[in-house]
Amino acid sequence: MEKQAGVAGTGGAADGEGSSRKPWVCGPASADSLDSPTGSHVEWCKQLIAATISSQIQQPDILSRDNHKAFRRPEFMVSKRLNPRNLPALRYGAQVKMYQVNQVPLLPGETIQTTVKDVMYVCPFSGLVNGTLTITDYKLYFSSVEKESPFILDINMGVISRLESISVPNQGENTKGLELVCKDMRSPRFAYKTEESQVDVVEVISRHAFPLSHNLPLFAFLYKDQFPVDGWKVYDPTAEYRRQGLPNESWTISKINSTYELCDTYPSVLVIPTNITDEDIRRVAVFRAKHRIPVLSWIHPESQATIVRCSQPLVGPSDRRCKEDERLLQIIMDANAQSHKLTIFDARQSSVAVTNKAKDGGYESESFYPNVELNFLDIPNIHVMRESLRKMKEVVYPTINEAHWHSAIDQTHWLEYIRLLLAGAAKIADKLESGKTSVVVHCSDGWDRTSQLTSLAMLMLDSYYRTLRGFQVLVEKEWISFGHKFSARVGHGDENHANSERSPLFVQFIDCVWQMTRQFPAAFEFNELFLITVLDHLYSCLFGTFLYNSEQERVVHEVQTKTISLWSYINSQLEEFTNPFYVDYENHVLYPLVSSRHLELWTSFYARWNPRMRPQVPVHQTLKELLFLRAELQRRVEELQRETTSHSLSSGSEHSPTHPTGTALHTTV
Amino acid sequence: MFSPRTTKPTFKSYLPPVQTDGKTSIEPPIRKLEPTLLSGEIVVNEANFVKKCVSAEGSQEDLWGKLICTNFKVSFIPQDAPLKPKSQLSHLLLGEHDIPLTCLDQVVTVNDVKGKKKVLGSNQKLKFNPTELILYCKDLRVIRFCFSEAGPDSAKKVCLAIAHYSHPADIHLLFGFEYQGRRYHQAKEEGVSGSTQRGGLQTQRFDRPSDWDREIKRTGASEWRVCSINKKYKTSPSLPENIVVPVSMMDRELEDLAANFTDSRLPMWCWNHTNGSALVRMAVLNPLQQKKTEQKFFSAISKSHPQHTEILKVDLDKSLPNIQDIQSSFIKMKQICVLEPFEESEERWLSSIENSRWLEYVRAFLKYSAEVVYHLERKNVSVILQEEEDRDLNCVVSSLVQLMLDPHYRSLIGFQSLVQKEWVMAGHRFLDRCNHLKKNDKEESPLFLLFLDCVWQMMNQYPAAFEFTEAYLTVLSDSMWIPLFSTFLFNSPENRAQHLLEFAKSKAIPQGEDQAVFFPPVWEWAQQFSTKDQTLFNNPLYVGKGATRFQNGEVKTFTRSKKNYGSINQGAPSSVRNGVRGGEDTLSRRSSLMSELKPDLPTVKDESPSEHFFRDWFSRPADLQGLLIPQLLPSHLSLWKLYFLRWVPEACIAKGGPITAYHKLSLLMNEIEVLQNQLRQYNRTSMESASLSNQSGSLSERGRMYFRAISAEDPPVPPDFLTSSFPFSAVGNLCRRGSQGTPVSKFLNGAKTWLSTETLDDTV
Repeated sequence: MEKQAGVAGTGGAADGEGSSRKPWVCGPASADSLDSPTGSHVEWCKQLIAATISSQIQQPDILSRDNHKAFRRPEFMVSKRLNPRNLPALRYGAQVKMYQVNQVPLLPGETIQTTVKDVMYVCPFSGLVNGTLTITDYKLYFSSVEKESPFILDINMGVISRLESISVPNQGENTKGLELVCKDMRSPRFAYKTEESQVDVVEVISRHAFPLSHNLPLFAFLYKDQFPVDGWKVYDPTAEYRRQGLPNESWTISKINSTYELCDTYPSVLVIPTNITDEDIRRVAVFRAKHRIPVLSWIHPESQATIVRCSQPLVGPSDRRCKEDERLLQIIMDANAQSHKLTIFDARQSSVAVTNKAKDGGYESESFYPNVELNFLDIPNIHVMRESLRKMKEVVYPTINEAHWHSAIDQTHWLEYIRLLLAGAAKIADKLESGKTSVVVHCSDGWDRTSQLTSLAMLMLDSYYRTLRGFQVLVEKEWISFGHKFSARVGHGDENHANSERSPLFVQFIDCVWQMTRQFPAAFEFNELFLITVLDHLYSCLFGTFLYNSEQERVVHEVQTKTISLWSYINSQLEEFTNPFYVDYENHVLYPLVSSRHLELWTSFYARWNPRMRPQVPVHQTLKELLFLRAELQRRVEELQRETTSHSLSSGSEHSPTHPTGTALHTTV
Repeated sequence: MFSPRTTKPTFKSYLPPVQTDGKTSIEPPIRKLEPTLLSGEIVVNEANFVKKCVSAEGSQEDLWGKLICTNFKVSFIPQDAPLKPKSQLSHLLLGEHDIPLTCLDQVVTVNDVKGKKKVLGSNQKLKFNPTELILYCKDLRVIRFCFSEAGPDSAKKVCLAIAHYSHPADIHLLFGFEYQGRRYHQAKEEGVSGSTQRGGLQTQRFDRPSDWDREIKRTGASEWRVCSINKKYKTSPSLPENIVVPVSMMDRELEDLAANFTDSRLPMWCWNHTNGSALVRMAVLNPLQQKKTEQKFFSAISKSHPQHTEILKVDLDKSLPNIQDIQSSFIKMKQICVLEPFEESEERWLSSIENSRWLEYVRAFLKYSAEVVYHLERKNVSVILQEEEDRDLNCVVSSLVQLMLDPHYRSLIGFQSLVQKEWVMAGHRFLDRCNHLKKNDKEESPLFLLFLDCVWQMMNQYPAAFEFTEAYLTVLSDSMWIPLFSTFLFNSPENRAQHLLEFAKSKAIPQGEDQAVFFPPVWEWAQQFSTKDQTLFNNPLYVGKGATRFQNGEVKTFTRSKKNYGSINQGAPSSVRNGVRGGEDTLSRRSSLMSELKPDLPTVKDESPSEHFFRDWFSRPADLQGLLIPQLLPSHLSLWKLYFLRWVPEACIAKGGPITAYHKLSLLMNEIEVLQNQLRQYNRTSMESASLSNQSGSLSERGRMYFRAISAEDPPVPPDFLTSSFPFSAVGNLCRRGSQGTPVSKFLNGAKTWLSTETLDDTV
């Protein structure tokens, strides 16, 4: 399936058809344009930004820069026959247009709001760049023709966290400065003359960066494009549970929440034990924070041990009990014949869990829940994570802390939290795999750390989630359908940047996934570009995938009919997101090594705005060429075999069959 | 004192009671615990019923067996045959549990009961009976033996023997001299001619004028000549016999001026850029003669440049860490990576790495070398590397510069030739820096390892640019501690010549026999590894000379044209290239021919011309067959995990690590090889219209890849034995003492074990 989509997909990275590539996203690929005599920082910024733009909009080209002929085998060319993938029509129509300096590429549905001339981009690396700023309802588009080579900066509105006026010395009284503090670790700055602007730039940007605060729709609702694949069809909960072998005698797929009455932040389809009445479930709901009852998320195909997720029990200071809740956990334990225990993983620090009792929350008492073992995973809350990433920005932007790079990273504690998360997830996975014991995972509300832990544990346990399609299902299921509050955590379209609800929990999860891909380079079907793309569109508001806080809200706002899914875009060009090293570690449980020694800062994401952080020479491009070479050789061997067989029919019987080359490697080319 | 003991009691009857697992009724055949001895190797002492600890606290995995000290190695022979199939690199001369005596860094004996420990040297006494022996190895292994069941006397004796024999009084006592002598004569008797054994060894050794001539021709250094004023080392004791000098300088003049340099190490040519600039290295000058001497050499070197440009002399001593800095940094790295309890160092891992300064030093050398590259490549000036003795830092920088500029050195043979030229023949004091005789700790410094780490950093950034792998670099570093090869044993070519001459005499080896035949260099990998294991050195991604590529429907062999190394702006006049005009020389120069390497005046905001040059270079795709500059922000450098963490079981990723990508790539390359062979076969048969009965199976047997796609034992999923430590084993090679052990054992985890060789009795 991926293979098909891949072929139908985009112009291969190795297409060598540079002429049909859009020069503005050339990045370092097009040496011609880079051979410009400026050779200045601008080039750098341009590439960097182009690279990121392309990762936001036009992924194919970020790869194609790896594709430069001079690098790697100059002699190696893939014949047309081998590479049937010409530039596809499916890329954004508007974008396929050749770039012209004065023309702003627009997405279908995108409209220009205003154009401001004589704007200076205050590049942290090369000083002032003069140019024109176009503001649309989707992006800020800055282009400069000042230098010999065009310089383009493209910032989508969704990524902007707040607007700050800054002072611009030595540019005259009428010059105003504006800093766009972004959610993705950069803060580009502009200076513009007020006298010449008819419109208030800040006001226009503010309207479209924070449409919800201005009673405007998010851009996803304006974006009109068509993809051959419908990403909304990626996740069908019933199909996913069927894949897991559900329902079975102990578990049933319940419609109890079909109208979101039981729990408004849960999905409509829930898997709950067969042996419990709806009445009991309703009682449990009252006892669990936000009514997020224990439901099955994953079941081990052999041991029948399950991952169950929920929110904290409302124990309160008086140690309330709920018989139905106690019974539900007992049933969950009994549903797994392999073990007479149940392990609860409470993601929080135990002290915090105790404090929560005072706030009417709490944790399961081992004396009321027999055979239950309670573990605290000591993971700090969303505020700590937000602060940690904020510190990280200081380390990587705009310049790298050169003198104390390593200790500066240590001081952000970001990797320490990554380690805690991975360690927690590995404990959960191990409890199921080795202990054959069912686990219940919760934090306070069961939509932040719980989603992180269950999805990471499932990624370790189930090789399906390590495929491109499976990963999408995992995100749809554990994050989107189970009500991770994307809207609140990211602050889509909302100007209230100081809202304490914001936190980079999903970024942290993707970082953990990236750490796993680093440790197991061949175990994941998707590549780094895929992860970066997902994160870019977490903010962009171009697709409906990450909008709103719950399934119910999405239904109310008709997200599936009025917006496009990120997976439509991704699955229409799967090849670009495919890891050529991928080998299906089917039925292998992968435990990442949870040690500081192997955790790295994801610089190609966090520090990508620094022009000196050139991405490393991508091996996967070389690998792709080798895969082409193999395919071509196979074709020719087969041809010759056919020839010789027909030529020497008499001796045909001696002809040993072709050995099964190629079958050993299941790689999507 | 250490006469070989021959007592061989049956092991079984003394087995400690731990070993009960219900299967005791099945009597295993009694194995004779005999060491595998090389020719000339003798057992000097041994102890039975020794436990080799495999994990920190007593564990079922611990091995029982015999501990043996020979004149070559410490050997441990386990009673139980190895359970798992061999999955890592197997050394032809050393068993899984063997440690060459030269590899021992410290021999520490402990008595847990009395709370005593002692670091043993040669000819020492031990006042307590050791309960434990801990061997700290130079390759970072930490091996621990327990004597709980061994006789106290034999335990003590074997410890003293190991300590004594690991501190040889004289270089001739290094086992290589015994071994290679016998090996030579055996080969002669068997009629195996030495030269065929050297098959595949095209590594240039630079011990003959012809090697230098070839290098001059290869780099187009027509204004340079081979000079033999150092024949018989009569001019300088540490320079090679043949050195390359400007054609304009006469032998007489060179002889006269040589004395003005430390150790008479006059400027020696290393390499030429296609643009004519040369890389030269030299020692410092006697201050009284400095001006005059420099003037003469510099004008001659300038004359050897086609544009007669000025010369840049750079002083490495002033800008780079010295050998003591490097040594103490390395000690800290050992401490962090292998000695400290794993969990304790987890918390502030990156800060500890930073505090060791190792990566900072690696970066400093790479950065300095890149600066030199800038001057050779862009400024088109010849560069002279100057260092006090020209035997340490110069080796690192000159070889890194050449590695960046010349793709030839990124091939396996090229790399080995580079090490020969810039390290072995240039007189790097391997004997002292390795401290093989353990005589002077102050001289010890892991400079060569630092160089290998620099190479690894480049390899890590440009995975397809090198013909060899990180496994090769690691194995090469380990080979320093095996005293059987001539490469790392001597301080200078003269030192080598003299010892090998004496050696040849004492072993009745005929005069005129090639040194490499009677005392082979490490480059003869067949001495250490099977052909199959050597394929682990091959990088499947490498594109270089001889690599087969596909072009326009034809499978072609990629051949590099002779001239395309070195320069990315070849042919293009530098004045137009990328707007940086060649004449735009912002470097303020004195009218003299010299200038110090210092930050050039910025042309763009806060940027030196060299930084500008690098940034410009980075802005375009790298040509792997051209100039290669590493990226040098601290964030670009990584810890060389295979080297530093390979023995650490806690740091070993099961089924993971970069090796899994290597595995996948190897399978793919192997498939391509097989297909190419098939095509060749078909083409041949169609031409000869011969029968097809002979398929290409045999050809593929000789594939370049360690992992083969066609064999049933190599499934597409990485086999279970692949770990991030592969091809090394993280089992049993690093046994720290548990942190909750006795106070003494706690002390043993401290840095002092490595830092001090004094006897530290009962410090608690």
